[in-house]
Amino acid sequence: MDFAGALSPDNLRFILEGFYVTLKVAFISIVLSFVLGCLVGTIRYAKIPILAPVLGVIVEILRNLPLLLIIFFTRFALPDIGIKLDVVTSAIVALTLFEGAIISEIVRSGLNSVNKGQIEASRSSGLGYTQTLWHIVMPQGLRRMVPPLVSQFIALLKDTSLAVVISLPELMNHSKIVIAQSYDFVIPVLMVVALLYFSVNYALSLIARRLEAKFV
Amino acid sequence: MIEFRQVEKHYGSFHVLKEINLQIEQGEVVVVVGPSGSGKSTLLRCINRLEAISSGELTVNNSKVNDKKTDINKLRRDIGMVFQHFNLYPHKKVIDNITLAPIKVLGMTRQEAEKTAMYFLEKVGIAEKAGQYPSQLSGGQQQRVAIARGLAMKPKVMLFDEPTSALDPEMVGEVLDVMKALAREGMTMVVVTHEMGFAREVADRVVFMDQGQIIEEASPGEFFSNPREERAKLFLNRVLNH
Repeated sequence: MDFAGALSPDNLRFILEGFYVTLKVAFISIVLSFVLGCLVGTIRYAKIPILAPVLGVIVEILRNLPLLLIIFFTRFALPDIGIKLDVVTSAIVALTLFEGAIISEIVRSGLNSVNKGQIEASRSSGLGYTQTLWHIVMPQGLRRMVPPLVSQFIALLKDTSLAVVISLPELMNHSKIVIAQSYDFVIPVLMVVALLYFSVNYALSLIARRLEAKFV
Repeated sequence: MIEFRQVEKHYGSFHVLKEINLQIEQGEVVVVVGPSGSGKSTLLRCINRLEAISSGELTVNNSKVNDKKTDINKLRRDIGMVFQHFNLYPHKKVIDNITLAPIKVLGMTRQEAEKTAMYFLEKVGIAEKAGQYPSQLSGGQQQRVAIARGLAMKPKVMLFDEPTSALDPEMVGEVLDVMKALAREGMTMVVVTHEMGFAREVADRVVFMDQGQIIEEASPGEFFSNPREERAKLFLNRVLNH
């Protein structure tokens, strides 16, 4: 084990550069997949004709494929049909599609969990379907979604490491390169990598716990 | 004001309402009683189309409830409803529970709506709870808020679906008192309930239902002392002598 060598300023900077890419890709994908998931989840909850069943099929497909396959697809298959994406974008697209599908299911089940009596009370007072969705169903459903949503965001952040297969210059990728310099670097580097992943994800969990306490 | 003509309702193969003919006039208090599963809640819920009828005709204020051309949201403004389980919005304060529909549906300003809300909260006797959340209130208080919420739309008729069935016994009285006061002021009310005392004291007419049919319609005096139908006698025996 060679802590000093493994974590030399150059190596450390390289690892942190990778970490920055991980955070950037994760953050953008979280925002996009959340927006996409909310949209798709709500459309399916509201059973909008044509759109809802079509999206249902797409969600089913995405959810039942390995993320790795989707990452390969956006990186290597899309160019064949004329869509060329750089490595960061293809990682973001793959993560957004896959996690968006899962988040849409979280959103849908969150909305479904709102008591039917709430909807009846609102509708019987003369509020329309959309007004009821907006003022009654969504605020209550969203609160219940917080814990599963945060778990999914954490999963997404960890899933960025799968993009190592398309050489996305993220944390795993850069740490692999550092490790390749010497067998003595394996343990120190992996410890740092673990610490980095853990601290961000644990911080997310803490925020989630705060939100939960505030809402519930 | 409310008229059922030959109304039928099926849930799949289950015949919930059979040949319902019923007329309710403005200012009338009609209490619907009957064993559970007799279709009385369904009957009530058809009035504001929470349930659709299968055939026949149902009109409220001369609008056909199930006509495609009827603007159901507009019709519902005039029909207040109080539920067995209150159905207050847990994420909104008491005052916001009451002002939501007046603001969003009637287009009142927040100020106006809050003034109206406070007026009705005072009327049901819990003005001091305006700033609290429903979960901080007792069942009886929650149901009174629900009544105030219905009244704030200034409806022409109020529907009550077993409003005291989910309450602890000691809270039934406070809710019934509010309803009695409302009846005295001339509100048109349709009440599904198991509170025979309330029916006897307040109803202009008692409607007895069993197995999806209206079996008997009578003034409370007549119905309770001298029911005509065998099934009504049986029912009264069971609910009054326990």
